[in-house]
Amino acid sequence: MALRVPVNLRKNLSVVLYAFQGLSILAVIVGIASLFLLPLDEYSRRTYISENALLPGQVHAYFGGSEQNIVRAFRREVDSLGNSTSDVVAERMAEIFRSAGLKVGKQRYSYKAAGGEYSGENVYAVLHAPRGDATEAIVLCAPWRNIDHLLNEGGVALTLALSRYFKRWSLWSKDIIFLISSDARAGPQAWVDAYHDLHGGDIQSLSVKSGAIQGVVVVDYPGAYHRFESLHVIYDGINGQLPNLDLINTAVQISRDQMGLRSELQEMWGHDDGYRHRLRTMLRGMVNQALGHSTGPHSSFIPYHIDAITLATHGDGGWHDEGSLGRTVESVFRSLNNLLEHFHQSFFFYLLMAPKRFVSIGTYLPAAMLLAVGLTLTAIRLWVDPRSRSGGEKKGEKKEEGVVVDGGPKRELFLPMSIVIGVHFCGAIPFAVFNSVDYKSMSSTFNIFVAASLVLPAIISILMTTTIPAHRLLPAFHLSRCFSLLFLGMFLSTLATLNFSLSFLIGLFSLPLMFARTTPDSIPLGLVNSILLLVTSPFAAVFAVAGYWGLGVEDILKEASFGWWVWGMWTPVVVWCVWWPAWVVGLISVDSGLVMGVLGRK
Amino acid sequence: MKLPTWGSLALLSLLPSACLAQSQHTSNWAVLVSTSRFWFNYRHLANVLSMYRTVKRLGIPDSQIILMLSDDVACNPRNTFPGTVYNNADRAIDLYGDNIEVDYRGYEVTVENFIRLLTDRVPPDTPRSKRLLTDDRSNIFIYMTGHGGNEFLKFQDAEEISAFDIADAFQQMFEKKRYNEMLFMIDTCQANTMYSKFYSPNILATGSSELDQSSYSHHADNDVGVAVIDRYTYFNLEYLETHVQNASSKHTLADLFNSYDPVKIASTPGIRTDLFRRDLSEVLITDFLGNVQNVEVDGDGMILDEDLLALARSAGYNVSDCKDVGLAMKRFGKKGAVVSEEAEKERDATAGEEKTWEGPARVHKDRQDDFWRNVMSAGAVGVCFVGYWVFSMIDKV
Repeated sequence: MALRVPVNLRKNLSVVLYAFQGLSILAVIVGIASLFLLPLDEYSRRTYISENALLPGQVHAYFGGSEQNIVRAFRREVDSLGNSTSDVVAERMAEIFRSAGLKVGKQRYSYKAAGGEYSGENVYAVLHAPRGDATEAIVLCAPWRNIDHLLNEGGVALTLALSRYFKRWSLWSKDIIFLISSDARAGPQAWVDAYHDLHGGDIQSLSVKSGAIQGVVVVDYPGAYHRFESLHVIYDGINGQLPNLDLINTAVQISRDQMGLRSELQEMWGHDDGYRHRLRTMLRGMVNQALGHSTGPHSSFIPYHIDAITLATHGDGGWHDEGSLGRTVESVFRSLNNLLEHFHQSFFFYLLMAPKRFVSIGTYLPAAMLLAVGLTLTAIRLWVDPRSRSGGEKKGEKKEEGVVVDGGPKRELFLPMSIVIGVHFCGAIPFAVFNSVDYKSMSSTFNIFVAASLVLPAIISILMTTTIPAHRLLPAFHLSRCFSLLFLGMFLSTLATLNFSLSFLIGLFSLPLMFARTTPDSIPLGLVNSILLLVTSPFAAVFAVAGYWGLGVEDILKEASFGWWVWGMWTPVVVWCVWWPAWVVGLISVDSGLVMGVLGRK
Repeated sequence: MKLPTWGSLALLSLLPSACLAQSQHTSNWAVLVSTSRFWFNYRHLANVLSMYRTVKRLGIPDSQIILMLSDDVACNPRNTFPGTVYNNADRAIDLYGDNIEVDYRGYEVTVENFIRLLTDRVPPDTPRSKRLLTDDRSNIFIYMTGHGGNEFLKFQDAEEISAFDIADAFQQMFEKKRYNEMLFMIDTCQANTMYSKFYSPNILATGSSELDQSSYSHHADNDVGVAVIDRYTYFNLEYLETHVQNASSKHTLADLFNSYDPVKIASTPGIRTDLFRRDLSEVLITDFLGNVQNVEVDGDGMILDEDLLALARSAGYNVSDCKDVGLAMKRFGKKGAVVSEEAEKERDATAGEEKTWEGPARVHKDRQDDFWRNVMSAGAVGVCFVGYWVFSMIDKV
């Protein structure tokens, strides 16, 4: 039965082509616009506690009073050890824990990355719950030096004081582990890897262990004694993984409603809950998630499906002191104590716009998916386009009716496939290079690599243009773009479910690849395309990130290398092995157009 | 018919109530069930233990109480005050510490065990403390609390019992003559739906909230860290503790039910009386919650009975047995008023357990809605058929 439609699609393919092109552009526009709709009240939701067992803020916290004298005494201890080596520090901390009556363990570790060595010694103590069954544990962590390399005086002192305070209560259902890690980046990773017996060679095993870890709270209260204004809750994990939203909601609710302590996210001080502040909070969260780096000691725990947050103090001259922070931590621990199972009721995939406002994955996923869909639709259009067929006819308009389906010129697949696959395998080169180069030579290596990335596609395109006959040349680039965009679209849509922000940002930067095509007829258009590609290249992204954080390019690359070796960060893999090859294929197509135009071949 | 003399009236009024009121019970039992696990359901166990202490205070001995506690919050590691359960933030009474006998504990509290307990279909080696050894003259007080919904109650976070199951279990109890009268009290969300399916006689039911309503907790203790009592149970206890001081209290269930304030309870408590033959204002609270039995006096009572029968016959009444005398007394007993035929028949029907029950009383009047619901379902099916026919026609066009 023939389908009676006004247009016979076999005769007139341009309808399909225009439809696909329009759809892909529409998808991209809608996708980007939907991201900006998220901070509105209609699309976001107020946070709420999903786990009935938590009961946050329902219990009195009694830390304070004479306990604060103990905290101050420990501050003096920490201050006096400020310049000591890590083994002296570890020994003194172990002594303090032993005097509180807890079981103590120490762990040395050493990582090599980017030509540097990162080593230290972690100290930890285990409080066995007197009436519990030691199958589960919760961790209170304080890094000796926080992520900004400041001495975490208040945090360590509070942890030591809380270890004595918690020991006096008999109502713990889980063991409590007090961890003082040597630093905020490598130390916690070494500890949690060793706790799960997944550590590498240069990391010591743990002598004392407890049960499965259910939750982690990290305390960050650097500097000499001062009163602070608000609590900065940091929750981003490695590779963009986030802790369960209930843990953040518990901390925010306890600090705000029970302790009268304002809580803040993503370094947004003075959030007024308006559209612009919500959007900025969300975008900052997305940047952290896309980079996939560690934002605090808690990040190392999250890949083990252990929910963890960092509570950092902010502001000078407020009226909250270690008593407030201690009570907040005590109340959070009483809520964690009530848990019967791992956090599982609330969301694992969300974007927070304000301490009490979020969107879940069902609402934000379309943004990245539509970008990926736009790329995929473009790839399909490129496949269906008659210009992908190499053969006698240039434009491929079929004049006879009733053409058998597989008659006519066929698509030549070998050349485009080999281009795409070859370039993708070449992506391993920058990845391996940047992971093994020393910090000192990072900058120069990067510059050499940028130059190579610009020159090599030009060379390849010249080679191809001069050796391959013209009627096979255009279809070859056409199809290589098709395969590259197809692969990129599929990869980005999968990545969107794991790391939404990385997928969205790469999709955003790859938009010019949808339009950048071989244009031998028009050299100016080719020039515009190549400039567009340069501006949205991976290198431009690296420069942009360096500018955003105010660091040099070599620092970014050092972080990436450190991230790969210590944390298992996957962002460099995605950038060098998926995005950069797609960009190179696009550049080859555009360069070929320029070369053909210059050489006069059509 | 001659009018009776005032003397015979007075004598007639002395008839022992054993002939008239068929509500005499000789033992009191209580079945107190909590169905929730986990620390944050502390208040459900506090509810049950509060009722346990109440019925014990009013005289029911442990041997006649079946206490089913689904979880041990007193010894939960999270309990700030180990070995205690409190139902009030003032922590004045420890409900758990002294003198407690738990019959079903922990994972023994299951739907199967509960129904077996009620129907007495228990394995032969079940100890006496785990059996409900009631007979046809026992009044039973059944109290249930936990998490519930529309016609179901959740047991142990793993299974559910439905309103039909309980109704059938009660019918089995009726057929096996295992109770005289029953008071069923339930404190859960949408509790009133749980007693909507009962169809056995002599059951009085009360629940904490209507369909689509939640029941709320009353207050929390900030050192224990959880809510310690539910509102419906709290206000029940408040009435019982202030008005029913001991087993000789003459307060009735009508008084108790009248004290319910839906505003304070924050939900609409319900009462089901259609299966219950006595008027609530005649039912003492201690008939169910206390251990007060009526005494049947042999000997003199019977003689008085026969004398009065003879007297009544001599007065001209056509009395053949005790029942008619009762009717006769009723006819003239209340200040000489003549009672109508229909009312007589009604009393006839309700008097005596020998009469067969007419069938389940319809409690919910939503059968008219059922009709329209059926019309709409039939319409939906019809639309599907028409649509199928239309689309099959298209192909042939």
